[in-house]
Amino acid sequence: MTLDDLTKTSGEWLRGNGPESDIVMCSRIRLARNLAEFPFTNRSSRAEKGEIESHFKSALAASRLEMDYFDVNVLPPLDRQFLVERQIISSELAKGEGPRGVAISPHENAAIMVNEEDHLRIQYMLSGFRLHEVWDEINNIDDQLEENLAFAYNPSLGYLTACPTNVGTGIRVGVMLHLPGLVQDKSIDKVFRALQKINLAVRGLYGEGSQAFGDFYQISNQQTLGKSEPELIRILTDVVPQVLLYERQARQRLVTERRQHLHDQVSRAYGVLKTAQTISSEETMLLLSSVRMGINLGLIDDVSIATVNELFIQTQPAFLQKIRGSELDVEDRNVARATYLRSRLANGRMAPEP
Amino acid sequence: MICQRCKNEASVHLTERVGGKRKEIHLCSACAKKSGLGLPESPPNLALDAVVQDLILTHVGELVGELAELACPECGIKYMEFRAGGRLGCPQDYRIFGRGLLPVIQRVHGATRHVGKVARQRPGAIHRLRLRSQLRDAIAREDYEEAARLRDQLRLKDIHA
Ligand SMILES: [Zn+2]
Ligand SMILES: [Zn+2]
Repeated sequence: MTLDDLTKTSGEWLRGNGPESDIVMCSRIRLARNLAEFPFTNRSSRAEKGEIESHFKSALAASRLEMDYFDVNVLPPLDRQFLVERQIISSELAKGEGPRGVAISPHENAAIMVNEEDHLRIQYMLSGFRLHEVWDEINNIDDQLEENLAFAYNPSLGYLTACPTNVGTGIRVGVMLHLPGLVQDKSIDKVFRALQKINLAVRGLYGEGSQAFGDFYQISNQQTLGKSEPELIRILTDVVPQVLLYERQARQRLVTERRQHLHDQVSRAYGVLKTAQTISSEETMLLLSSVRMGINLGLIDDVSIATVNELFIQTQPAFLQKIRGSELDVEDRNVARATYLRSRLANGRMAPEP
Repeated sequence: MICQRCKNEASVHLTERVGGKRKEIHLCSACAKKSGLGLPESPPNLALDAVVQDLILTHVGELVGELAELACPECGIKYMEFRAGGRLGCPQDYRIFGRGLLPVIQRVHGATRHVGKVARQRPGAIHRLRLRSQLRDAIAREDYEEAARLRDQLRLKDIHA
């Protein structure tokens, strides 16, 4: 597998199937692990980082895991950005220095970053609300790597991590939710405050510090110590259905109280995406979000959720430049984005008024 | 004032005394929260000065003295460097800085004991961490004979790892 192959496929987690996939884009778990015999990444020498990388590569080769390793250190900046857009690596890894990389499974469900803040950051993603399955998968990956790696661990504090905020289980259990109803309803802040009270973190699609766009939000645990992995997962599986209920109620209110306005908004969004000659990334996200909700409410019936999910990723700058095979400035990207959207959404028609 | 860790506006300002010298820390609320220095979830009308005073007492007061001087023999990181940067240097730091870290851990997680997945016992790993730190020292003082000897020892153990 090469990075160029990835431009022709899309991650399994974008398929738009699985339970509650109208709202739950994907379920994701991340585990932080470190090798006991090395200093943490920020204190490791270049040579030690190289050794950490080769220890990992031999453990991966000895396992039954089918993953390809990419040396991020030698990737051009555009390819690094491409991996960030696909949610495979963090921008911290992209911007880092020295030996580092990522192992990726064929359908992009699994990714293991090497020499990020921790030596290993294992992540597993599935579309829909399937945290238990995700846990089984990632737990298995962790077990297989541990066959040949000595992880930093002590019985009273658990897995030891570079930042004490991840110590213990080293687990981050998250779901990515599409919440356009709560955003339009202006009740989203209320929901977030309630989640923060029970120590859940809310982040925008591109993670910490960035503005949420496309009405996507990730909800995840913050505390990693003092509760077992299944207990931490249970907090999410208990709370998320409540958020889904609020989102469905908000959408229902939009449908019953503002049907014409809603249908107009969705139709215009779809129309612009299908016909624009130049369009910014921000506007694209906003409009795709409307279209995605329109599909789920039965207002649009000739484009699939999977296509819209993919477009959120495939209208990002690095993807557009990779399929063009050249670097593009902002203006050129806006034109390339519009062209790509028109080609993907061609032949569409609006659903008849019920 | 700009956050020392990112480019956001700093909202948490702390002064710590390290061995008689004053050291100022400026962080945005997100970075402060990350390093366990964030403002507690408190009623918003609580005077900020009181909150900061409380933070200094709980987090800095106790540190003046031995903890502030403490450095890890394995990776060399000083406790105050961890406090400024928010990242530890090696797995042994949890033991070496335990007294300073446990209150932070309690505050962040509401717990200080792991109850989740149990890792395999690998008793040799700590010894190898020590060998590696000796290797770093040997290279630093250009003692290449000793460095070669340590490398051989590490290689030997690789086979049995
Ligand atoms: Zn900051
Ligand atoms: Zn250390």
